[in-house]
Amino acid sequence: MSTTLTEASTGRATPRRRMVRGLNWLVLRQHRATLLCLLALTVLCSIWIVYQRAQLIDLLDAAGWPGKDAPPQVVGRQYSSLTTLLSALPVVLAVFLGAPLIAADSEQGTAQLAATQSVTRRRWLVAKLGWCFAATLVSCVVLSALFTWWWTPYRSLLSFSWMEAESFDNTGPVLPALALFLTAAGVTIGVLVRRVLPAMVVTFVFAVAVETAWGLMRTHLAPSHVFTYPLDGELPARFAESYELDRWIGSADGTLYGWGTCTEATEKAQNACLSERGIVNSVMEYLDYDQMAAMQWTGAGVLLAGTAVLTAFVVWRSARRPL
Amino acid sequence: MAQTSTPTGSGGAWAVEARGLGKRYRRGWALRDCSFRLPAGRICGLVGPNGAGKSTLLGMATRQVNPTEGELSLFGVPVSDPKVMPRFAFLGQDKPMYKRFSVAETLRMGAELNPGWDMAAAERIVRAGDVPPHAAVGTLSGGQRTRVAFALAFGKRPDLLLLDEPMSDLDPLARDEMSTLLMAEAVERGTTVVMSSHMLTELEDMCDYLLVLAQGKVRMAGDADALVPAHALVTGVTEDGAPPAALTRHTVIESRVQGRQFQAMVRPSGPLSDAWQVSEPSLEEVLLAHLRSPDAPALYTPGTGIESEEARTV
Repeated sequence: MSTTLTEASTGRATPRRRMVRGLNWLVLRQHRATLLCLLALTVLCSIWIVYQRAQLIDLLDAAGWPGKDAPPQVVGRQYSSLTTLLSALPVVLAVFLGAPLIAADSEQGTAQLAATQSVTRRRWLVAKLGWCFAATLVSCVVLSALFTWWWTPYRSLLSFSWMEAESFDNTGPVLPALALFLTAAGVTIGVLVRRVLPAMVVTFVFAVAVETAWGLMRTHLAPSHVFTYPLDGELPARFAESYELDRWIGSADGTLYGWGTCTEATEKAQNACLSERGIVNSVMEYLDYDQMAAMQWTGAGVLLAGTAVLTAFVVWRSARRPL
Repeated sequence: MAQTSTPTGSGGAWAVEARGLGKRYRRGWALRDCSFRLPAGRICGLVGPNGAGKSTLLGMATRQVNPTEGELSLFGVPVSDPKVMPRFAFLGQDKPMYKRFSVAETLRMGAELNPGWDMAAAERIVRAGDVPPHAAVGTLSGGQRTRVAFALAFGKRPDLLLLDEPMSDLDPLARDEMSTLLMAEAVERGTTVVMSSHMLTELEDMCDYLLVLAQGKVRMAGDADALVPAHALVTGVTEDGAPPAALTRHTVIESRVQGRQFQAMVRPSGPLSDAWQVSEPSLEEVLLAHLRSPDAPALYTPGTGIESEEARTV
């Protein structure tokens, strides 16, 4: 028996030069399907962005923009599908990459298998988290960069203002940071719940809650400005891109009244009301487009700090309790 | 038994050494005050009822459970030191493996994660069982999966192999095959084996060393060949419906009264009365008696106990 076996094993004794070794090989092999899906999604989305941008440019060239007016509707359903897809990407990554990352190993016992080889649980965990975060980061950075490249020059023509989720969350550093934070949250939930399906459900609910909270928090990422101009005057053109937070009417001494304070049935009654209170100004509280980058980086910083805290918790916990 | 007791030399001669080892979970102590030594090169059976602390002990030895108190070292290396990892291999109750990996990929995982991996040995074990190398692990039968798990364990070239009820889910044929494989590989390499099992006959055939746990404490530890002769099965006539007072001079593990007869498992501490009928029990009888009576005093054969341990030695 031994002779045939020796022959067979020498036949396989010259393996191909291996590019990926050790834990990296294990993690990539285990998550091969997920990572390939993510790669395909990233590539297809990138092509889609480039294609839509080219279409828009063709349309605008034909219309003679910016010399002449652009057509009223330059992007259609494809654009809103794309922004929806990009907005959903962090949640999808959290639910399908983050939540099962460790939970699947806990559920099937393969965490035990890996941890009883010659590598420590921490090294295994770091390799898993490293690849998971790297894949998330690369995918989201590529998509965010492409979308920003398209969106920035043509933003005045596109459907959503810069403060809206479709623009703010999908450009610059926000998309990768949001995806990293939600994925880290998914991993943490997976570590705590230890079952794949419940972890995915909890992660989904959590991600939706975070997106909602994020939506409420977005306008507080930078201090707002106030601009005062005559009540009967026009808002200067430089505010075309400003995001209006609130609007008042005010008297010359700076007292502010709610926008609807002097809304009366007749113009006469309205004028009487205005003059009685000495209201002469319109006052606008706003965020300027110039603040967008700073707001995005502030928000990304908060999210990345959250990611670091969650990751540290997972690594710390794995040293105390088996996964 | 030539190599019966104390291996001389460094601490490395003890495959497993536990001192005051304990683990407390939220619901209480799973294992407490556990002290014993296992010489290298032995096949040790780990016996005890469910919940006795066997899995906890194996979990602590394989770095999956952190001890609450005490020390545990394998070949003189504390288990808290990652250097201990290449020294042992572990085969859990449900033998977890990546279901989508092929058999060849599973072995490659062993090669990637273990510095001293022996691919030839692992492949030999897999091939001897006609396990198709490109089949996904999830599609294999229970026996084939166990064989792959064994290949993964032996490919690591461990000095100590820890098995948690490895044969529990196998049919008798596969069980026999795996026992033979285990014994052949362990003997060939001089691997120390610690194996927990409920199958007392299986242990009697395979093990030359026993560690008996009950209610989180060590009941017996020592050579299988020395443990049995330390006991006697005594039958005699009762005095006033109870076992005779003279019996209490010896260590009574368990006694039973049936009509005017009593039967007792004792550890004689001197000659037994001629009025009683004395026979040597089987290993299974000794084990069962100890498992039924967790309050009986613990027994350590020479070299097994730790000096500080006050439990008596035969």
